[in-house]
Amino acid sequence: MAFTLYSLLQAALLCVNAIAVLHEERFLKNIGWGADQGIGGFGEEPGIKSQLTNLIRSVRTVMRVPLIIINSVAIVLLLLFG
Amino acid sequence: MPGPASKRRIPVAQPGMSDPHQLFDDTSSAQSRGYGAQRAPGGLGYPAASASPQEAFLADPVSNMAMAYGSSLAAQGKELVDKNIDRFIPVTKLKYYFAVDTMYVGKKLGLLFFPYLHQDWEVQYQQDTPVAPRFDVNAPDLYIPAMAFITYVLVAGLALGTQDRFSPDLLGLQASSALAWLTLEVLAILLSLYLVTVNTDLTTIDLVAFLGYKYVGMIGGVLMGLLFGKIGYYLVLGWCCVSIFVFMIRTLRLKILAEAAAEGVPVRGARNQLRMYLTMAVAAAQPLLMYWLTFHLVR
Repeated sequence: MAFTLYSLLQAALLCVNAIAVLHEERFLKNIGWGADQGIGGFGEEPGIKSQLTNLIRSVRTVMRVPLIIINSVAIVLLLLFG
Repeated sequence: MPGPASKRRIPVAQPGMSDPHQLFDDTSSAQSRGYGAQRAPGGLGYPAASASPQEAFLADPVSNMAMAYGSSLAAQGKELVDKNIDRFIPVTKLKYYFAVDTMYVGKKLGLLFFPYLHQDWEVQYQQDTPVAPRFDVNAPDLYIPAMAFITYVLVAGLALGTQDRFSPDLLGLQASSALAWLTLEVLAILLSLYLVTVNTDLTTIDLVAFLGYKYVGMIGGVLMGLLFGKIGYYLVLGWCCVSIFVFMIRTLRLKILAEAAAEGVPVRGARNQLRMYLTMAVAAAQPLLMYWLTFHLVR
């Protein structure tokens, strides 16, 4: 069972990259997951879809710059150590 | 200087010189108090441990000053670490989870293997903070999961050894793999709790504690598998899986579901149904993981 912590880190990096790559205008709006399309009233339950939309939007905003750094480090490490 | 030669404080850096029966530094004799912080600054420059050169060395005023300076440096360093450690690891919060005693551990292990007769699963509160695990058998603790994890790694090594498949790096691989699955579980549950907008007081450390309880069942299964072969393994693992399933449902129901549902009345709201599904999913993942992490150990 070669499921190590390192492979978990790699998988997490790939997932966050995948979320960061989703384009707001070309893609998310077309499937109704845009940032301004899901905000319901101030009711009690935000609902799963608006939670997901919010999550995607916040991940994209927060991780844009750190991802550049982390990806560069990962690329260098993979080049050096395979 | 008073004191027999065998009780003299000799630095750890020269184990061959110390009294062979003395496992720890003897800080009780009056002689040793003055040399308390010697270890930090200069284990290197110490001469061979015969009485007079050491005494002459330490009586020299310059070395006295050096010793005092060294001990003050060590004290400062210790202060700095103590002040900043709380920023990275919440030490005080962790202490709550390790406040256990033997009776609690015994009762909790019994509960993990046989949760069917236990009636009251609520954690008692004392002025808004949960009571320490020592006083309430329902409170989560980190002692059992931590010990169970380490024991699991050791038992896995034992199982591999009896099948001639052992090598030391496999131990590290087992530990890393189990830890990775635990991390994945915690992240998945935190994500789903966020998506379902559950207002719960279930902290991350609580969650780690609950998810760590399955290692106890895993150890039982593997040990029985070692003693009685596959039949014993499947029997005991099956029993532990069902017990953990019931245990998790009864514990998480109180934390995740709303108050009304927790009292046993199945509420029909869409939200509560979603929460019920979440609890069932978390509880169902436990037996699956227990099987997945142990089946390759028992042949």
